[in-house]
Amino acid sequence: MSTGSFAVPASPRQDFASGVVHSLPIVAGAIPFGFLLGSLAAKAGLSALDMGLMSALVFAGSSQFVAVELLDKGSAGLAVVGAILLVNLRHLLMGATLEPRFRGVPRARAGLALFFMTDEQWALALRRGPELSLAYWYGVAATLYLAWLSSTVAGTLAGALIADPTAWGLDFTFIAVFLCLLAGFWRGIGSLPPWLASAAAALAVHALSTGGTWHILAGALAGGAVAALQAKGLGRTRDA
Amino acid sequence: MPEALTLDWSVFAIVLGGGLVTWMTRIGGPWLIARLRLGPAANAALEATPGAVLVALVAPAAMSRPSDALAAAFVCLIARRVPMVVAVAAGVVAVVVLRRLM
Repeated sequence: MSTGSFAVPASPRQDFASGVVHSLPIVAGAIPFGFLLGSLAAKAGLSALDMGLMSALVFAGSSQFVAVELLDKGSAGLAVVGAILLVNLRHLLMGATLEPRFRGVPRARAGLALFFMTDEQWALALRRGPELSLAYWYGVAATLYLAWLSSTVAGTLAGALIADPTAWGLDFTFIAVFLCLLAGFWRGIGSLPPWLASAAAALAVHALSTGGTWHILAGALAGGAVAALQAKGLGRTRDA
Repeated sequence: MPEALTLDWSVFAIVLGGGLVTWMTRIGGPWLIARLRLGPAANAALEATPGAVLVALVAPAAMSRPSDALAAAFVCLIARRVPMVVAVAAGVVAVVVLRRLM
């Protein structure tokens, strides 16, 4: 079966293991948040089964926090589904950047692999570069999925036992992981304008909107727009 | 533990709907791009997207307080010099210390 532009590793088992190992710093940060989400869900009246199904089928952390908050407030079902959709719209842009990899991969295979595309999955996959194989992809996916499923269910069973993860600096784990991944995208000073535009747009939208992840879309679009302008500028100097 | 296994059908319907729309956002990106012909500017925008998304993901949290901004700057400085696990661990230690101090 075709694996598109995914690498075919000499040892899939070793690639899978690398995926597992590379996910561990992320798991360390994700588990306390899974617990926290579970305890919030218990407060909102969800059972461990409700929570487990949500983690298993939606598998997208920030949208689950929003959904649980809305369920706690007694929002209408369609509003909750709509909020989940809006929070996860950023996946469209992330998936778009992975398209070259999935070119030629059979539809069912791609659909299954992409089901697991979280922010962290996407970032680790890009960081892997040309060596990225489906075995590595699933090493990351299996680790993140099991950690998220078990920690959210455990949190629901434990109820409100878990203290605020920010007290231990664990919230910073995600920032640190994303910054390390960002460093891998540095291509010299030309990288700076799109990043500054993204930061400015994200901060502005974040300050204006309450919750949600609109700032991610705003930042992505602003950064992309500046990069497009840079490319146009380069084209013009080359023509001249 | 019977109450842990109760299934609220209205919640289950929301979970199914939420799972479906989320999966569509995940498969939609490659599907859309494969059907669009991108010029050089659009390609440059797409190439810049991963970095821009990562910046947008961290910016609000990293700029939320001076201690976090300092720790974030510290992680950026060491990110390309040490393995990721070390950089992440050092960043978390730095933020805990800085939050106490500032």
